[in-house]
Amino acid sequence: MKAEEKLALIKINAFTYLRADWLERLLEIFGSGQEILKQTPQALSEEGKISLETAEYFLKSANELDAEKEIENTAKVGGHIYIKGEEGYPQEFLNIKEPPLVIYVRGELNTTLAPTVAVVGTRKISPYGRRAAIKIAGDLVEAGVIIVSGLARGVDSVVHAEAVKRKRPTWALIGTGIGRCYPADNKELALGIIETGGALISEYPFAAAPLAQHFPRRNRLIAALSRAALIVEGEVKSGALITAKMALEQGLDVFAVPGPIDSPTSGGPNKLIKEGAGICLDARDIIDALPVNIKVNLKTQDLYKEKEEVLDLSPEESKIISAIGDGESTVDELSVKLNMDVPALSTVLFSLEISGYLRCEDGKYSKVKI
Amino acid sequence: MLANVLSSAIKALEGLIVKVEVDIAGGSPTFTIVGLPEQEVKEAKDRVQAAIRNSGFDFPLRKITVNLVPAEIKKTGTHFDLPIALGILSASGALSNIAQNKLSEMVFIGELGLNGKLHACAGVLPMLISLRKTGVKKAVIPLANKEEGEFADIENFGASSLKEVVDLLEGKVLFHQEYQIPKVEEALDSYELKEDFSEVKGQALAKRALEIAAAGGHNVLLIGAPGTGKSMLAKRFASILPPLTKEEMLEILQIYSVCRLLGKNKKIFQRPFREPHHTISNIALIGGGATPKPGEASLAHNGILFLDEFAEFSRNSLEVLREPLETFKVTIARAKDTLTFPAKFTLIAAMNPCPCGYHGHPVKTCNCTPVQISRYKAKVSGPLLDRIDLTVNLNPVNYKDWQAKSEGETSAQIRARVIKARKIQEERFKNSKTTANAFMTVSEIKKYCPLPAGGGEVLELAMKKLGLSARSLDKILKTARTIADLEGSADIKKEHIIEVMQYRPLDRKGVSDI
Repeated sequence: MKAEEKLALIKINAFTYLRADWLERLLEIFGSGQEILKQTPQALSEEGKISLETAEYFLKSANELDAEKEIENTAKVGGHIYIKGEEGYPQEFLNIKEPPLVIYVRGELNTTLAPTVAVVGTRKISPYGRRAAIKIAGDLVEAGVIIVSGLARGVDSVVHAEAVKRKRPTWALIGTGIGRCYPADNKELALGIIETGGALISEYPFAAAPLAQHFPRRNRLIAALSRAALIVEGEVKSGALITAKMALEQGLDVFAVPGPIDSPTSGGPNKLIKEGAGICLDARDIIDALPVNIKVNLKTQDLYKEKEEVLDLSPEESKIISAIGDGESTVDELSVKLNMDVPALSTVLFSLEISGYLRCEDGKYSKVKI
Repeated sequence: MLANVLSSAIKALEGLIVKVEVDIAGGSPTFTIVGLPEQEVKEAKDRVQAAIRNSGFDFPLRKITVNLVPAEIKKTGTHFDLPIALGILSASGALSNIAQNKLSEMVFIGELGLNGKLHACAGVLPMLISLRKTGVKKAVIPLANKEEGEFADIENFGASSLKEVVDLLEGKVLFHQEYQIPKVEEALDSYELKEDFSEVKGQALAKRALEIAAAGGHNVLLIGAPGTGKSMLAKRFASILPPLTKEEMLEILQIYSVCRLLGKNKKIFQRPFREPHHTISNIALIGGGATPKPGEASLAHNGILFLDEFAEFSRNSLEVLREPLETFKVTIARAKDTLTFPAKFTLIAAMNPCPCGYHGHPVKTCNCTPVQISRYKAKVSGPLLDRIDLTVNLNPVNYKDWQAKSEGETSAQIRARVIKARKIQEERFKNSKTTANAFMTVSEIKKYCPLPAGGGEVLELAMKKLGLSARSLDKILKTARTIADLEGSADIKKEHIIEVMQYRPLDRKGVSDI
């Protein structure tokens, strides 16, 4: 592919309101990206069968995007831009209905025979969902699985973080450009993903903002790069279920973590199970279902050994852990339940939080480990 | 003929002596006031004319000129009515020689009604206090201002009408008035707020945070769903603060006097509690206006400024609070003048955890998306949050807690500990301008807040694992110092620093570049 054409394609990819299959259609009609950019809005609208307004916006954003700068910025952070059909463009994307025209990759991405599993879920993660996500993702990662997710808040962040913590690669398909991070709390995590051999992947321009239409569409890419999908938690109507649907359309095995019937965030997985999704009680359930050629490279022996984790806790610490139970507790509740004053409680809670047994959000403590 | 009467002008909270010169000369009848009078002073003409006639005197139909000396200072307020009227009576020869002599011995302050009665006016107390300092011995004020006048420690006479003032000058009425002088110190020490902390069930963490705030002068942010008791706690905060000192009370009374907020049955022995609505304008919050008046920040002086629905305040109006939070005063700069009002208050801010209010509520469901929630949190002004040392998340009190027979600690019990901690700080800062731990300078933090063994480790872990930012380190040390003082511990201990972690600040982020 000629360099000019590559620049032109990067430009026409700038208007993220047009889906990749529409861009494909325009390319078919006009022959090349350079040709499209030469059109007037009127010609583009008439021949391309899009509204005049869309055509105007399309050309405006294409011309405003500095493609050379895109390549330069991407290279500066050690990333690459791949055009559909170019070498390095993940072959898995070609199998889906709407392959992205341009893909930005920051980090290492080698998709051939990669043992990938999509792990996704709600942004409003419950303490139970967090424990489940950490346990299953941790085991998958230890076995050598690459976890694919979306770097959103909640389940996505938790599973990415688990991989980074264990210094294993994980791939994040993000809804912004690869030069930005949303939510900003995940900045460290995003950099950690790159550092530990993972990758940030996006079909949007380098500095694209987190626009609403980006997020549902990146779910198809999550599914495309994965061999199986696990839904940890999610409302009945949620992005996680969109990913599950995409995964099913792409012929993947879909698993769900069962949850309490009255928990809104378990509504999605429970519904999936009812409709026939695989029940995931631990990482083995997913690994068992992976294709043989992928499974052979995994180190799964540890998973099948029965082991008992010994918690190293003082009597006071275990008293607090059992008082918190499976849900959430505030300092006030604990101080009434255990008859301890705030300063005394603080000391124990702090050491439990630092050592990773508990986490605190908005003043509520919950268990992290199963 | 010419007559001179002494009165006072007010600039911010300071009174200046003003000489009211009245000249009556022949010519067609006119009445002019010069010497930079504001609108309300100019209107004195009509009030004075009617008041003189309706008090049984003749109003001279000649050329009257009134000059307010020093002429280059703006004169505001309605209290020039009385001195102008007396000047006219004196210049027109309506007063006897005895009265003329007495006229020069005292200062006159008062607004006249058309019927000749004296009405209350603004700023009597600060004017009298300043006059006393400049050596004035006697003052005549409206009877309605007599109560505040007593606090000025100057001989004063509360008159009810122009006629009574003339009688006083003529010697028909004695200057001495029987008046019950309030026993200020006793009243202050024994004053107790009706609302008590023991009435708030549960919320041990929030109560503890408020105790620390009261002991060290820290500002607090309360985050919680509607009905978790944010306002209830804030209203009771004054009950655990140390009692007002006489000086503090006088400072408050002067501000309230200027705003005409003093009156019968005002709770003058209590620390002010101001809760402006979130739609308040900048000027109403901080003070200002054509004739600058103190705003809510100054009305909360030596007390509490409670900002409910903190996230709903416009960012701009919150930013203006930075000055009083740092310098404890509000400066209003004008082309001609710079006015300063004191504004030293404890800020208690309260907000919901999310736009709908029910994020994290155990029963009610919250419909806000994470984006909406983070946007809501990001609305709060960052620089202002930097001046808040303690943040507490409040959760709904469950029924069991609420039902609990055992009453919590009373305000008096908590207050005793607060006073003890304040005593320690008084001793610590006796050679410094600082009055409490929250206001320590960087060098003072270094001197008085050495890290205990293991303390550095705690902070490092907290930064690494809990996402604590480096800019909160000073806040943590100051707060830990107060916790140590509450315990009577000379050194900050590791536990003290750990406890501060319970009150860590609001997490507020949006999109960032990587």
